[in-house]
Amino acid sequence: MLDRDISRRRFLTGSALVAGGAFGVPLLGACDASSGGDSSGDGKTVTLTVMYKNNELTKEHIADFEAKHPGIKISFIEYDETRLNAMLASNEPPDFVRAPAVGSAASNAQGLTTALDPYLDKSTVLKKDNLMAVNESFRWDGTRTGQGPYYGITKDWSQDATLWYNRALFEQAKIPPLSTTEPISYDELLEIAKKLTKKSGGKTQVYGLGVEWAWGLSSPIFMMILQQGGQVYNADLTETDMTTPEARRAIQWYVDFGQAGVGPTTLDPAPDGADLSLFLAKRMAITQDGYWYGGNFVKESEEIKNSVAMAPAPVMGDKRISPTYVGWGAMIPAKARHKDEAWKLMEYFMAGPPSEERAGSGWGLPGLKSQLSLLPQDLPYQKQAYQTTQAELPHVAQLPDSPYITGGGWLPVLDKHITRAIKKEITVDAAGKAITDEINKLLKQGKDQIG
Amino acid sequence: MEAERAGRGRRRWSRYPSRTFYLFVSPWVLGFALLTALPLGYALLVSFTNFNGRNSRWRWVGLRNYTELVRDADVIASLVRTLAYTAITVPLMVGGGLGLAVLLNRRLKAVGLFRTIFFLPSVVPVVAMAIMWKLIFNRDAGILNAILERVSVGPTAWLVDPNAFYALIILTLWGLGGGMVIMLAALQGVPAELEEAAVVDGASRWHVFRHVTVPMISPVIFFQVVTGIIASFQIVIQPLLLAESNQVGSVALVPQSTHLYMVQVYEEFFNNNRYGYGSAMLWVFFVVILAITLVVLRSSRLWVHYQVDSEGER
Repeated sequence: MLDRDISRRRFLTGSALVAGGAFGVPLLGACDASSGGDSSGDGKTVTLTVMYKNNELTKEHIADFEAKHPGIKISFIEYDETRLNAMLASNEPPDFVRAPAVGSAASNAQGLTTALDPYLDKSTVLKKDNLMAVNESFRWDGTRTGQGPYYGITKDWSQDATLWYNRALFEQAKIPPLSTTEPISYDELLEIAKKLTKKSGGKTQVYGLGVEWAWGLSSPIFMMILQQGGQVYNADLTETDMTTPEARRAIQWYVDFGQAGVGPTTLDPAPDGADLSLFLAKRMAITQDGYWYGGNFVKESEEIKNSVAMAPAPVMGDKRISPTYVGWGAMIPAKARHKDEAWKLMEYFMAGPPSEERAGSGWGLPGLKSQLSLLPQDLPYQKQAYQTTQAELPHVAQLPDSPYITGGGWLPVLDKHITRAIKKEITVDAAGKAITDEINKLLKQGKDQIG
Repeated sequence: MEAERAGRGRRRWSRYPSRTFYLFVSPWVLGFALLTALPLGYALLVSFTNFNGRNSRWRWVGLRNYTELVRDADVIASLVRTLAYTAITVPLMVGGGLGLAVLLNRRLKAVGLFRTIFFLPSVVPVVAMAIMWKLIFNRDAGILNAILERVSVGPTAWLVDPNAFYALIILTLWGLGGGMVIMLAALQGVPAELEEAAVVDGASRWHVFRHVTVPMISPVIFFQVVTGIIASFQIVIQPLLLAESNQVGSVALVPQSTHLYMVQVYEEFFNNNRYGYGSAMLWVFFVVILAITLVVLRSSRLWVHYQVDSEGER
């Protein structure tokens, strides 16, 4: 009966109408949303859409900010890169977004961010001359970072190539502790790591050195190249050359590190992909992490607190530089609707109570020079880390940042070819050539996307 | 009175058969349109662009993404690995599920308990399962190596090449209880009189199974094969979770042996921000899966048997 009443044509026509209706309703809804105000009925309260991490911009911070700014309400979205991309692509971005300083070139080059100089020039709490050097990575002049307007402000950061080590494991291996102010060379570091490593029956009891392999290989390799006086990219950031003597030496070091088996690599992965659990379990003697790492030890046992110490970033070559690999902060998207209100949140978050809280916690260095004195020095290891940081800060430097590729693009390529070289499937020279070819292909594609 | 009222209710529905039909199918049509047809169409459009996922200033690139991917050695290699993974896991999953079902289709003491035990792993969320296996496979602290050491086998690095591939297969097989339940239901639907008739005719237990039971449940086996192939082709979460992850982003350092096609797609989308290229890869994959499914469908004429009633209808 039903077969006779409903022909295929009628079914398809009906379905098309239903589907059309289904598409049409959200589109109409979208029209409504874009035309409407996101202020409340009284026309005075502005709703600021904020995308951040809720353990960094907390409920308490939001309540405090709203109390101090009665005309602004915050609609909070947990930071999610995929969602952020979708919001940016649809020209409906949040008003205030978590963003890294190193890696900001891509957003800046695509015109997705707001130049903050007009706000900085007028601000009474965020002054350009009070910004730590890390904020230079948020600058973009249309061709490279470090010059031109600021497109973001860093909330906290670290010189990420510094070392944390367990003095008790050094004593056991009869190795003198590292200098708190003078760097050792990468070659010396590898030799020390070999002495600290303990293996038995095909298992590793103690790793000599962790380099946070899974977190990234590009930044430390860039640093090694810069320390030798080399360059990572060409002038317009569209090509790289990983076959130069400087790049080759850097890759060689990672291959030696992997072949020595002194720390986790892709061929010997850390159980949870990070060094911390091994370091706290006294199964890793040295780990390469920034000042922020000290925040992990505050609630640990007295034994750990009394054993840990910080040392400067190692060097490869004559130039002592100690950069940040990321430097998380915030930016205001170019298409944000409430930029003035977003700037008020920027001032509150970067210079107000949350920033003082952060600096005092020891989870990273502050983005403002004036807050350096707030760094914790209550515990012996905190005092020592403060001294090391004071000695390290003059050597801060910027890593190169091409808008045409991300750290996420570099990592699998470096990992793949360095791992092959560790396994002796290819030579270091061949790895350098393969990395160069693949990264240049990605850079070309990135250039094509951005134009 | 009640029957009269119910009759009137039925008449109201049957008076407008087409409206009734649309009313009942509309949830599915809506769901299909919004959650399947729209994303598919959108991905097809994106596959002809250089869209990077965040910038609205994309442009059309025609067939460039498609021509590039057929020459992309990484894409071809990942497709070959995926085919190998499917060729190994689908027979093991279907055969293993059938074997377990046969074992548990008997009048045993506590058979319900055994069925539950075998079925339970398949209801564990895939993320929890992968993390659990990652701990089991850990070289230095994993329980698998601890057990192997007891029988004098040295520690094995399960999560690196080439062992990572076998580890992934073990993890996949852990969930074969789901297939077992479907097979069990099929076995219990086989008419006992057919098997008894074969026994009366002198058939051995193997012959009964081979020539009566298997043909009777062949439509269910066919279903398992088709859904198994599709699921195996689309696997992505497990290799990503077994791999070393950087925790702070979307990048996972997946070993080459488990770098399957969908992992490659994931990398293009989220590491390289190549949404256009990734979408083209997905469409090509869709066609590949469709073609393989059609081949299996065609082959079903040779080995799938449907029951035919007295009027010759299935």
